[in-house]
Amino acid sequence: MKKTKTIFQDGNHKWVAIVRDPDKPNYLIDTNEYLVTHGSQGILLDPGGAEVFPAVFSALSSEFDPSALSAIFASHQDPDICSSLALWLEFNPKMRCYVSWLWSSFIPHFGGTAETFIAMPDEGLDISLDGLHLQAIPAHYLHSSGNLHLYDKLAKVLFSGDVGAALLPPGDDGLFVENFDAHIRHAEGFHRRWMGSNEAKRRWCERVSQMEIDMLCPQHGAIYQGADVQRFINWFDGLQVGICGS
Amino acid sequence: MTMTTALTTRPSKAQQAGVDLLRIVRINEEIKAVVGVAFKINIMALNAIFLAKRAGTAARGFGVLSNELRVFSQDLRDGMSALTTHIHACVTEVSVVLQDIRHTALLRQAVEQSSAACGPAVLAAREVENDRHAERLARLRKQLRAALDDAFRMVELGGVLAKSAKIEAAYGQSFAVPLAQVSGEFDGVVEEIRASLESLRRSAFFTGN
Repeated sequence: MKKTKTIFQDGNHKWVAIVRDPDKPNYLIDTNEYLVTHGSQGILLDPGGAEVFPAVFSALSSEFDPSALSAIFASHQDPDICSSLALWLEFNPKMRCYVSWLWSSFIPHFGGTAETFIAMPDEGLDISLDGLHLQAIPAHYLHSSGNLHLYDKLAKVLFSGDVGAALLPPGDDGLFVENFDAHIRHAEGFHRRWMGSNEAKRRWCERVSQMEIDMLCPQHGAIYQGADVQRFINWFDGLQVGICGS
Repeated sequence: MTMTTALTTRPSKAQQAGVDLLRIVRINEEIKAVVGVAFKINIMALNAIFLAKRAGTAARGFGVLSNELRVFSQDLRDGMSALTTHIHACVTEVSVVLQDIRHTALLRQAVEQSSAACGPAVLAAREVENDRHAERLARLRKQLRAALDDAFRMVELGGVLAKSAKIEAAYGQSFAVPLAQVSGEFDGVVEEIRASLESLRRSAFFTGN
């Protein structure tokens, strides 16, 4: 079973990270899921693949009533992002799924109906969660051609999808980055290969540099917090991406 | 907590659905072969009609039977087309059942590992949906079996026609040898189809074993 860790809380406004399943088979990439709750509602960010659904569901239900999830936010279309969609919908068929317009007719292959999907435009979208204002911000080509991240201005938390992801070696399972220089080595190859556009990367770095971010939460690896957030943005800005091979 | 059937579903259900899918795929392949043979009968019957016309009054009976065999080949193709439609519906439904099984297994795991109060109700709803799909598959299975039986009866009639054509060929005087050859080919092809359909009717897909 996965662990849950509340990474932000202010009254009934919470960010819960769902991470690190010791029983997960090694052939599946490890993923982080994030639950944002406010009032009586919750939104699950990149809910994960069908194979990890039992682990994510059981961890989430220890914190929150899964039938009260009002929405899923899918940063992009990959199977490790939301191939579990049909299973979540069993618990609440009225649940909505926010996804880039580019993928709004692709992701239904994972489940859902025409009513399930809310297509987000390229420039992003304001999402309301029981009065909490969340912002879907553009991150196209990082790595998917239709890619969005989710910013919570109040909590100062940015869910950054695959940006900031690191493929950590076994045993290196801390939730937060503790030694940036040591950690970033596990992120470098991933970003060089997966991120497709230096121009898109530059625009993203400029955009997020203007935001107040206490925590940058990727879908794989560890969370950047405090000064490591800007450290990561600077590192990413200087990295040449879209490179295959040595 | 009440254990629903979905909570106690065994993996053998998935194996059974996988085996069903393989069986239905084999049935489909066999039917495709029969459809090909049925088309061959149509050409053979056309040739037999021409041959009977050349043979004249001596092959009048053979000519009548050739016409009947041509009608039979068209009926057979229509029957095979109906079978193909039933099979496609069965393949779709078996695939749905396979997906149900995977979903149910993942839901079961999730509910067993969690304390979510809504879990058993969601599993029960899934179980109702699974039952609905299983019932639909059972209905389609019966319809496919009935269509196979209809086709089999039709082929038995074709066999009678082919055997009668063999007898009529003997009255073909100077055309007796080529007429016997054509009617023998008919008989062989109809027997081939009959054997195929007979083996399909015995398929374990219909017994579910």
